[in-house]
Amino acid sequence: MQIRDYIIRRLMIFPLIIVGTSIIVFALSRVGGNPIAIYIEHEMSAEEVAELEERYGLNDPLPVQYLAWAGGVLTGDMGWSAVSAQPVTEALVDRIGATLELAVFAAILAIMMGIGLGTFGGARRDRLPDHVTRVVSISGASMPIFWFAILLLILFWVNLGWFSTGRSDPTIFASIAHPTGIYTLDALLAGNLTAFADAIHFLVLPALTLAFGATAIIARMMRSSLVEELNEDYVDAARAKGLPERLVLRRHARRNALIPTVTVIGLGFGFLLQGTVVVEIIYRWPGIGRWMADAVLRGDQATIMAYVLFTSILFLFVNLVVDVMYAYLDRRVVLGA
Amino acid sequence: MVDLTAPPTPVPVPIQGPWAVRARRFAEVGREVLRNPTTVIGLVIIVLLLSMAILAPVLTTPNVPDPYQMPRDWSARDEPPGTPGFLLGTTTTGGDVLYGVLWGARTSLQLSVIVVGITVTVGVIVGSLAGFIGGKLDEILMRFVDVFLAIPELIFALAIAAVLGPSFGNIIFALAVVFWVKYARIIRGQIIHIKQNEYVDAARVSGDSRFKIYRKDVLPNSITPVMVQATMDMGGIVLTAATLSFIGLAEAGLAEWGVLVADGQAGISAGKWWASTFPGLMVFLWALAFNLVGDGLRDVLDPRTERR
Repeated sequence: MQIRDYIIRRLMIFPLIIVGTSIIVFALSRVGGNPIAIYIEHEMSAEEVAELEERYGLNDPLPVQYLAWAGGVLTGDMGWSAVSAQPVTEALVDRIGATLELAVFAAILAIMMGIGLGTFGGARRDRLPDHVTRVVSISGASMPIFWFAILLLILFWVNLGWFSTGRSDPTIFASIAHPTGIYTLDALLAGNLTAFADAIHFLVLPALTLAFGATAIIARMMRSSLVEELNEDYVDAARAKGLPERLVLRRHARRNALIPTVTVIGLGFGFLLQGTVVVEIIYRWPGIGRWMADAVLRGDQATIMAYVLFTSILFLFVNLVVDVMYAYLDRRVVLGA
Repeated sequence: MVDLTAPPTPVPVPIQGPWAVRARRFAEVGREVLRNPTTVIGLVIIVLLLSMAILAPVLTTPNVPDPYQMPRDWSARDEPPGTPGFLLGTTTTGGDVLYGVLWGARTSLQLSVIVVGITVTVGVIVGSLAGFIGGKLDEILMRFVDVFLAIPELIFALAIAAVLGPSFGNIIFALAVVFWVKYARIIRGQIIHIKQNEYVDAARVSGDSRFKIYRKDVLPNSITPVMVQATMDMGGIVLTAATLSFIGLAEAGLAEWGVLVADGQAGISAGKWWASTFPGLMVFLWALAFNLVGDGLRDVLDPRTERR
């Protein structure tokens, strides 16, 4: 199958899966008690509650309720977020920059560290660097992020005082405008290097915490595919023609080993996305992860629904991109066979 | 040509036939698994953790009326590790960290056994129906599975537990809803592959019923990747549950590691590191041990992955 056909087919299934996901998300909100419980004040009378239920269409049949909600989502109306006291869409837009900045920064770190570590171990099979790589990749998959974050805070915040929680220094924050909500980008747009350094300073620790799990996944895949590639004939051929080992690794083996590694980047991104909830709680990072955690604890269903739907779509989209990228990189792949 | 959609390679030697053959094969796998030092480390940690879980009522005085609730000693708050009577220190509310660590092992053991039991059963049933019967049913079930897989695991579980309200029982339920999907997918792929083998055709011509073929020839040969995944999930489930209870979805005061880490978090800025550190370490060791063993099992059972 041609890449183009494959992409078209995937794109056609994509909306179906999103509709399926939205049905699950909607169903979730209707199995656990009253979806508008959080809007009901203590002193409201029974008539007022009934009026509220009528206003939110809770007396309609479920399919009608679903369509009303889905229609709202499509037009950008996802209800009222009680935890942030503003419309859900607005709250999402306000917070998404913080989470994206954290996740993208962590993804870059994870890809660099994962590929670096995997190469480091895979090229020195069964020697010390290889054992180090394996220990890191197995602990990464087993590490409770919330615990890792606390350990790093104990070391770097409480004992060494190098970093602190939050997102920026208040005075530096006030010194520039924030049109994008992505502080590093805002600082660059303002041409303010102090603000840029400050943004990075606050970003380092949470991003490192978040990157650990994904680094492990990528390093593991990179290591094993590099080991596999180094056994191939073309590597022997490259060596035989007198190419230095460093170049054999860099120009030949590593390039090919990167292809299967691309497939786990999507998996790693899922790890990152899930990790933001906990990382944002612990580092007091004002993104959508912490917003979700607040909503979860207070039963704010409109917020929970929006968050789950949004992250699932993001996750699906990243996986689609990864699949297409893989198909493009490895022409041997038979798509959709 | 590399076929992306090909199911994983089946086991090298089919586990079937009389019990003697099966037992011999089992012993073979066992011997080979034990040859890998990291697997042995994992097994040793598992044995230690299980002994902690089993011996918790002997090593500590169970709290009354509910031993799974942390005991409170208001006269001993924030004691550092090594304080007489409190080997690992106490929390801000006077909870004995050692008590939490030991009873947390018990909580985790119950949790993981229940969730793995439910998810493997449901996953194997759904996956078998899809893979063995095939056709329309397969198509419908797999689209269902696709949708479940579209939502990231932790976020899905978080949302389910959230709408049901904070309780550890709801965490268990949420994990069961989320984790079965993987098994369905794994077993379906295996069955579709195994079905094509000649010994299945042989059984069919010899007049065996479909159910008998499934039970005697197909299922036993498809089950090993499920066992590997289940081993790893014994760890992954405890890790996910601890994350949910850390966020605040379990009852306060429960002797569970995630709850304890959350409780201890407030004290770290004042230098009280122990109340979070020890319970978190337990989650890590639990997940690590099962991952190591699962990894070792896969190396032996799935010949495709290279031996290290």
